[in-house]
Amino acid sequence: MILIPIVALILGAMIAIAINVPAVPGIYGQYLAIACLAGFDTICGGIRAGMEDKFRRAVFVSGFISNVVIASFLAWLGFKIYINLFLAVALVLGARIFTNLSLIRRYGLTKWEDARERRRLQAQAQSQSVANAQPEPNP
Amino acid sequence: MLGNSVNPFVRKISKESWVLPVSGMCLVLGFMISLAWVTGRNRTSRENYLSPDQRQSVNEATMDVDQFQRLSAEVTTLQSQKTRLENALSKTGGQSKVLNDSLQELKAFAGLTPVEGPGVMITLHDSHPASEGMGGNFGVSPDFIIHDVDVLKVVNELVASGAEAVSVNNHRVAGNTSFRCVGTTILVNDIKIASPVVVRGIGDPNTLLGAMNMPGGVLAEIRQTDPRMVQIETVKDQELPEFVGSTTRHFLKPAKDVK
Repeated sequence: MILIPIVALILGAMIAIAINVPAVPGIYGQYLAIACLAGFDTICGGIRAGMEDKFRRAVFVSGFISNVVIASFLAWLGFKIYINLFLAVALVLGARIFTNLSLIRRYGLTKWEDARERRRLQAQAQSQSVANAQPEPNP
Repeated sequence: MLGNSVNPFVRKISKESWVLPVSGMCLVLGFMISLAWVTGRNRTSRENYLSPDQRQSVNEATMDVDQFQRLSAEVTTLQSQKTRLENALSKTGGQSKVLNDSLQELKAFAGLTPVEGPGVMITLHDSHPASEGMGGNFGVSPDFIIHDVDVLKVVNELVASGAEAVSVNNHRVAGNTSFRCVGTTILVNDIKIASPVVVRGIGDPNTLLGAMNMPGGVLAEIRQTDPRMVQIETVKDQELPEFVGSTTRHFLKPAKDVK
């Protein structure tokens, strides 16, 4: 299931390469790069929410768009007022990406361990029932 | 688990599937990343906005090692083909033979043919004082590293003491050779090299050895930091490759009054 977004990510990049859009030059490239970071953060957040069963489409889509716009806006503002807000945005988004990814990893691990434990218990119960069902060796 | 009762914007349980929306946005993100990627076409315009260490990696990335190797192999083939054709042409008559002899001599002088002969071999290493038990020396002083200036000085000293041909790490030093520092590596003829740097010079071995070991000379200066950084030995016979850089000239032409 986690593979579908990854495939979509690669597909998006392939489409951009296939229709041969020129890479964005100059300072706009920097804004776009920071926007990519924001988008990646939102996607990690969306996956995490999905694993917590709290996912809401409207929140996710609006969050993606607004985060991208706000991140680029902050970077632009920083460029205009000569304060390196690039760094502030990158720092905050980077920290959030790390948090989200670690939570996703924990949920995944918990799920996997639960499944393993369940299988083990089932196997145990089955072997016990088989042992009980065996007839007494000597009547 | 995460105390979501504190956050009023999050519903307790939502059954909406996250896979499709996330995939859709991933598609958009992939598209955006491709556009934001630093490529050959937008590199120069974005370089000003990068931090210094990023700029350095961009500079290093401008050189394509594979392409260089292919092109230099091609140059070698073409140069030797040219020499063969010139020799074949000279067989037709005595006059063209004289002309060809003078041409081959000139090419050897300009560094366009591989040459061989006796000489010296100088090896320059970076020193690693921290790893050799000096204790507590964490920051490596710039003196312990071989710089472009060191290579430049050694080559200059070799030529000054009578070397007829010089190569640095198998790159021939010709008329338009440059030595330049880029980050952690040295560029010779715009090709990256790193420690150990092997400088070979063809000439009278003993003269070269004596001149290079001169007290107060360039090697003595490096030896002051660490004697192990420099090794010099005489070589009976060594082969130096030809210059494989570009010989194209856009602005230069012979002066008019030369008849």
